[in-house]
Amino acid sequence: MFPALNNPPPFSPVLVAGILVRPLPITVIQSILDAAFQRILRHHNGLFERLDCLENPVFLIDPVDLPFVFVLDANVEQPRLQVCSETHGQETATIRGPLLILIKLLEGRVDGDAMFFSRDLLIEGDTEAVVALRNAIDDADIDIANDIISSLGPFARPANFAHRFASRFYNRLEGDLALLHAAISSARQNGPLQ
Amino acid sequence: MKAAVDSGADAVYLGFRDATNARNFPGLNFSRAELEHAIDYAHDRNCKIFLAINTFPEAGNAAPWHSAVDDGAAFGVDAIILADVGLLAYTASKHPDLRRHLSVQASASNPEAIRFYQEEFDVKRVVLPRVLTLPEISALNREIQVESEVFVFGGLCVMAEGRCALSSYVTGQSPNTNGVCSPACAVRYEDEGDRLVSRLADFTINTFAPGEAAGYPTLCKGRFIANGKTSYLFEDPVSLNAATMLQDLAAAGVSGLKIEGRQRGKAYVAKVVTSFRRSIDSTHDSNVEVDDLISVTEGQRRTAGAYDKTWR
Repeated sequence: MFPALNNPPPFSPVLVAGILVRPLPITVIQSILDAAFQRILRHHNGLFERLDCLENPVFLIDPVDLPFVFVLDANVEQPRLQVCSETHGQETATIRGPLLILIKLLEGRVDGDAMFFSRDLLIEGDTEAVVALRNAIDDADIDIANDIISSLGPFARPANFAHRFASRFYNRLEGDLALLHAAISSARQNGPLQ
Repeated sequence: MKAAVDSGADAVYLGFRDATNARNFPGLNFSRAELEHAIDYAHDRNCKIFLAINTFPEAGNAAPWHSAVDDGAAFGVDAIILADVGLLAYTASKHPDLRRHLSVQASASNPEAIRFYQEEFDVKRVVLPRVLTLPEISALNREIQVESEVFVFGGLCVMAEGRCALSSYVTGQSPNTNGVCSPACAVRYEDEGDRLVSRLADFTINTFAPGEAAGYPTLCKGRFIANGKTSYLFEDPVSLNAATMLQDLAAAGVSGLKIEGRQRGKAYVAKVVTSFRRSIDSTHDSNVEVDDLISVTEGQRRTAGAYDKTWR
């Protein structure tokens, strides 16, 4: 969820996208999320079995560059992922960071401890539950794009093509925004724009 | 396990999902069925599996530890890592052909102790405590007839392993009997806006300013006020990295290099093992740059630990 102005999120395409999707009804985002989550669960049946040592583990996943949060009910029998526009403070633990880092963590592409030590990620609440979630996710070998695309049957091929195109577009946009950010920072340091 | 094997490890340490091993973290470790699959996976790729059963059995309840040894032997692990003399005796008696390694938890740091374990239990390898300097390791290896293994990367435990009670004192649980040092259930991080506070049970262990690299709240790496001065009394939040000392360690007679990783994520395991594999394979090629691995170190800092000991 967008933080206060004195603690801004990183300037990235995700932040821009977050601002653009803000007017969307939360139900629309929830529908998309439901479809993606069910497809991932289908690929990873026992995803939350390693959490069976915990009683009702519920995680607040807070991407700081999006205008909403996710609430993950990691119940082994009936897991659920909800999108919410506000937090309720009833969760077992909170995991807060930029969306791309959260996705890389989900896919085991970055080290969660390292992200925490470097302060790119914030953990609050029941640390044991977060450790168990990390271990469960690491065991599952999740690849979000591949898990979703491979479940699309005859549409898998065009979806894969679209994904590759979107990845290239994202990378270019990220580079352009970094350039824009550097130019604005430089102008602010050197006085008014000429 | 797959990340370690695929990244070039020669052997991987594993543990069962209970208090029989010193990394008994929630959601971690292997069921019996998972261990069988892991052995197949590793052996198919020419990698060995060492089973860590390196906690000390609960008084009057040794059955889970005996069962772990028996199952490890039945599944065909390449070695068992043990610390308790009773368990060493049990294993030597019941499974004489099963290779036995002495865990760092046994804290065997002198020739007499190591010779005792060799003569009584036919231990083939000893994992040395992280308190020895390089010259001390070299001298020790000249006096013992078993292989030695040392830590080269990971969290730096500055206490005498197997004998440290700091975690028990604060949380009631220790690595020695419960398999956890500073268990996650006792750890809390709180963002107070102008600082991040880390707590272990009822104690504040550290506070971090915005942007300052953080660490895990073990009591030995806490920041305390003593004599009016705030400092890390025992050890800073820092990771051991002996990557630049591999030739020295080989010259000191070390047979095995141990990377801490059983409670870490697979991205960490892949990165660190890949880096060390590359360093080992190119030990004599000075053109190969060694990754400093700072991004995966605690506190974003590294040290050569006791290998290059200096005193404050």
